Amino acid sequence: MINYLSHLEFFIVEAFRGMRRSGIMSMVAIGIVTVSLTVFGIFLLFVANMGNMVSDVASRLDIVAYVEGELTPDQADNLKSQMLKINGVEKVEYVNRDEAWKSFQEDFASKLDLSEVMRENPLPNSFALQVRTPDILPQVANEVAKFTEVNEVRYSGKLIGQIQSLVSAVRIGGVVLVFLLFLATLLIVVNTIRLTVLARETDIYIMQLVGATKSFIRWPFVIEGIMIGVIGGGLGILLLKTSYDAIIFRVSSALPFLPVMTNGGVLTMIYIMVGLAGTLLGMLGGYLSISRILKEKE
Amino acid sequence: MIELKGVSKIFTSGVEALFEVNLHIGKEEFVFIVGPSGAGKTTLMKLLYRDERPSSGSVIVDRVNVTDLTAEQVPYLRRNIGVVFQDYKLLPKRTVYENVAFALQVTGAPRSQIRRRTMQALELVSMLKRASSFPEELSGGEKQRVCIARAIVNNPPILLADEPTGNLDPQTSWEIMELLDKINRRNTTLLVATHNKSIVDNMKRRVVALEGGRVIRDQQLGVYSH
Repeated sequence: MINYLSHLEFFIVEAFRGMRRSGIMSMVAIGIVTVSLTVFGIFLLFVANMGNMVSDVASRLDIVAYVEGELTPDQADNLKSQMLKINGVEKVEYVNRDEAWKSFQEDFASKLDLSEVMRENPLPNSFALQVRTPDILPQVANEVAKFTEVNEVRYSGKLIGQIQSLVSAVRIGGVVLVFLLFLATLLIVVNTIRLTVLARETDIYIMQLVGATKSFIRWPFVIEGIMIGVIGGGLGILLLKTSYDAIIFRVSSALPFLPVMTNGGVLTMIYIMVGLAGTLLGMLGGYLSISRILKEKE
Repeated sequence: MIELKGVSKIFTSGVEALFEVNLHIGKEEFVFIVGPSGAGKTTLMKLLYRDERPSSGSVIVDRVNVTDLTAEQVPYLRRNIGVVFQDYKLLPKRTVYENVAFALQVTGAPRSQIRRRTMQALELVSMLKRASSFPEELSGGEKQRVCIARAIVNNPPILLADEPTGNLDPQTSWEIMELLDKINRRNTTLLVATHNKSIVDNMKRRVVALEGGRVIRDQQLGVYSH
């Protein structure tokens, strides 16, 4: 390896020479990598946004446990601390029926006059519980229902379940799709680079004849592949970032309630993944195409 | 230096290129391999640098049985053998200097040596002045000199020349042969495959005649034909 590193300059010069010589084919290869990686990136952004929406919806969902009769503040505190001990419960809030009734009346004050319809407060006391992840909602609800004071437990389990199965379907489909996309791109890149390799058959023959080892012959082509991948990946990131930023700008002003992802960390991760995929694609493409030619010549 | 024992080569197409060839070539010898086209001259050379494998028999170069070499070992064998072609096989997008230096670069020679050794090789073949020319700007004889420089830049103990004068006029052919002779006298074993009668007859070297894949004559100070 050390030995090869000292020849790095030669490899890079040869890689540039190769790219220049097969200019149009190199550009075609870069274009293909760019398009494939952009599609790959769009997909990652889509999945990330789905996940974002689910957790946004999920964080707003909680379990409501209705309590029969009145509770003294001590009893309420006691129940609250017991509920907090249930595995996965993050937050418990006691909602006094008087307060609930007041806020209900305030909310609807302009729309209807409830005092005419009912003078008595029809709402029970309740506890609002927030859990760590939506998938443990049913479990926690069961636990809460075991309290003798608790009369009824409600949560939107069905909705959560549906969203979750949708997300996992998207994820599984996504993995398959990304894999196929990667394979297809790899095939195209290999064959594109192969054409540039074939154009340099005499070079390769001379290299073999004067006693160049296989790995020495391979390096310039691998580096050429990496350069194609890096340039293609870079263009893909540029394309993705520009269009995503533009879309975000429009969406967040037109549909402000939609929880689109603007999280810098996750977005950076996605762009880095696109770049890495490009590099890997190019490297593998270069390696496989030259190896196939060397194998044929053996 | 070179030994062929009962070497036969039958191509998958069924063509019998060599049949039961036995040949011993000593260190620093100068040997002409003569014979009509298709006699097996090129195949014989290709067996030496393992561009082909014999169907049977063994090929020994510098005490190493070439037939047994693995694909990983072949490059190291080839560093001991320079090859000169009738069609030169120069890389068109590279200058004379780059063509010769290429042979050193791809075998991982240290950078400090590349320039010096390339210059020496070009000097030996009298092409130093054309170092920055491209192959298309050179005459046939000049191209062949560059091809020879590339073959010897590694200082291989063995030099193979397959029809080195095949594309050259008689005067240039002589100059190339004189150059090869000079290299032979610098302790290089030299094999020249040719069907250039006047050269063989005038050089008065060992002649191995092939016909139909068989050695029909092997004589010291020989001539092209009886």
